[in-house]
Amino acid sequence: MSPFYFILNNFSLVLEYAMNHISLVLTVLVLSLSFWIFTGLIISRYDRLASAVISFSNILFCIPSISLFGLFMTMPGFGLGRKTAVVVLVLYAMMPLVRSVYLGVKSVDASVVDAGRGMGMTTSQILLKIRIPMAWPMIFAGIRVSVVLITGIATMATFIGEKNLGRLIHQGITRGNADMIIAGAIIVSLMALLLDYIMGRIQKKIVSPGLRFQPGD
Amino acid sequence: MSFDPGLFMKAMSHQAPPYILEHLNLVLIPMGIAILIALPTGIVITRPGYRHLSPRIMAVFNAGQTIPPLAVIAIFFPFLGLGYGPAILALTIYALMPIARNTITGISTVPEDIKEAARGMGMTSWQVLRRVELPLSVPAIMSGIKTSAVLTVSTAVLAALVGGKGMGAIIFAGINFFQPELILAGTIYIGAMAVFIERFIVLMEWLLSPAHLKG
Amino acid sequence: MIELENITKKFPGADSFSVDRISFRVNEGNICVFLGPSGCGKTTILRMINRLEEPSSGNIFVNGKNVLEVDPSGLRQSMGYVIQQIGLLPHRTIEQNVGLVPELLGWEADKTRKRVRELLEVMGLKPDEVVRKYPHQLSGGQMQRVGVARAMAADPPIMLMDEPFGAVDPIVRIRLQDEFLSLQQKFQKTICFVTHDINEAIKMGDYLIILNQGRLIQMGSPIDVLTSPADEFVLSLIGEDRGVKILDLTRCETLMEPMRETPDDLMGSGCFVQSIQPVKLALEVMMKKDSDHVAVCREEKVIGLLSWKNIKKHINRVSGEDE
Repeated sequence: MSPFYFILNNFSLVLEYAMNHISLVLTVLVLSLSFWIFTGLIISRYDRLASAVISFSNILFCIPSISLFGLFMTMPGFGLGRKTAVVVLVLYAMMPLVRSVYLGVKSVDASVVDAGRGMGMTTSQILLKIRIPMAWPMIFAGIRVSVVLITGIATMATFIGEKNLGRLIHQGITRGNADMIIAGAIIVSLMALLLDYIMGRIQKKIVSPGLRFQPGD
Repeated sequence: MSFDPGLFMKAMSHQAPPYILEHLNLVLIPMGIAILIALPTGIVITRPGYRHLSPRIMAVFNAGQTIPPLAVIAIFFPFLGLGYGPAILALTIYALMPIARNTITGISTVPEDIKEAARGMGMTSWQVLRRVELPLSVPAIMSGIKTSAVLTVSTAVLAALVGGKGMGAIIFAGINFFQPELILAGTIYIGAMAVFIERFIVLMEWLLSPAHLKG
Repeated sequence: MIELENITKKFPGADSFSVDRISFRVNEGNICVFLGPSGCGKTTILRMINRLEEPSSGNIFVNGKNVLEVDPSGLRQSMGYVIQQIGLLPHRTIEQNVGLVPELLGWEADKTRKRVRELLEVMGLKPDEVVRKYPHQLSGGQMQRVGVARAMAADPPIMLMDEPFGAVDPIVRIRLQDEFLSLQQKFQKTICFVTHDINEAIKMGDYLIILNQGRLIQMGSPIDVLTSPADEFVLSLIGEDRGVKILDLTRCETLMEPMRETPDDLMGSGCFVQSIQPVKLALEVMMKKDSDHVAVCREEKVIGLLSWKNIKKHINRVSGEDE
């Protein structure tokens, strides 16, 4: 198999694409985590708002990524390039993140919350000391799903001018070059697996060992 | 960039509709094949003799989901050429994973005591599967099929890149010519298809679920 | 002291009162048991005392202060709260669980740590073994103990306990009850205790409050309730073995005939009980020794004689049956 040789022969180009790819993914990840974890926590307090926000994120998630890229690209103020790519990918990460934060915080065992209230914890203490720590396993599941998702869908940003690993695949198609396609696919997959692995390590650090036995870890 | 309502109406009424049937084929054929493969595979893998394999197979599926959809679509075409066939093959593989995963999870999370009780009443392992394990896994399996269907409807857009046509043709045309009217029209039809297929699966799930699980 | 004045509670959407015009008082150092079938309102009453529920009308005073006028968090921190599901925080170690209220109250870490160890010891757990463990690593009985230790962490004068020993098997439950009673001898807390188990109620309670469908049916000491049940409902709650239950609560000295010297036939037979022991024990001794009477002693001295006839008469009297 020669995808390996393709990478060696075009190393600087592949490296450039890979760097662009990962910088896009990391930008999107940082923004998504700060927006959507916050949003998930907010809507956990307001049930009606929650169902509206979650339905909206579900609809967004059902729109093909290429359409979303295309529609934003043609909107005034966006156009080709990174800004559009970042906005679309952040929107895509909304569903898994908001949903997992919301469900994680909401599905905390009622008797534990009751015990906390009964001992005199305020609502915000219950959120900080009970709900969030107990929701971490589910939140991390959502984070890991979205990391893999963002890394994969970022390839589509090549159609709106991003020079990333998607370009290897796209050009591989136009040139009928299987090595190029496979090289791109492998690097994207490895990148996704690596990011997932890193998130798994962070998860181990953050999630209390008392919760390890639960499914969803 | 401006939005031309006339162009949009024309796209909605004339340009997009011919792609509907093609797109449905790109979804329904792969889904059908994927279900036919994934269900029996999931069932076999959860049988006592093969159960030890399921963590490894799940790991393969998990890794498989990290391959970007664009790459899955692209990967067969250098060998099989342009056209419907490679696109359908790629979409089938893509559709397969969520169904197989959920089938395995669904069946293997049926509580052991329920199966034990069924065996205790004298059911054969075939009867346990047919009357206990499968009915109780219907929600999980159907949710896998649902996930898979929604994914396939939107991934099928990419088939246009390898000559597989479908609604992707009009969306990529919109991107290449900077015409949001075309992109929007294609997206609306795709959204409608996703909703329609999802509703259909929900209905099927309701029909197949054991009575006590019906909402 | 806890005082409820004409408390009612109607949950939104419910057609009947969950708690209907209830008044009572719990004296300092007493265990007051709320007893009744599920849905009788006992848990709701308990939860209104620390304002986990708000009464629809009426007032609750704790040590003379109207609870509806104080900050709920502070109020709850000043009372221990134990529930059947225990509700230990699974993501925190046992040490962090027991130290929760001190943490909320802003105690110094060192003081908290000492207090946690002391309490675990009091509750019959080995601190060194459990402090670093997480709740899921403990047995049901151990978790219940930790739940009680957690409630006692800041040494609250009042404890609210909702079926605190309900989630463990009967043998462990009896042991926990015994241990808790001997702790109570020492600490003299004011305790509201919810249960649906008549045996537990009789055993734990200084005072019983019997509820049905939100109404107060009877209140009184266990022996009052057993000897003069208010109505058919209380009678059915007590069950068929009312006489035996009474014997469990009656001290030998109350039924004995005073006597100075040991009768000859009991000399050296080992056929004796202590005056404060329950009559039920005297029956056991009689059966074991195949005798129809036992000597009743106060420490070393014989003070009376308890015979099968006395006991039978007593049972018949309290059951209202003719001899």
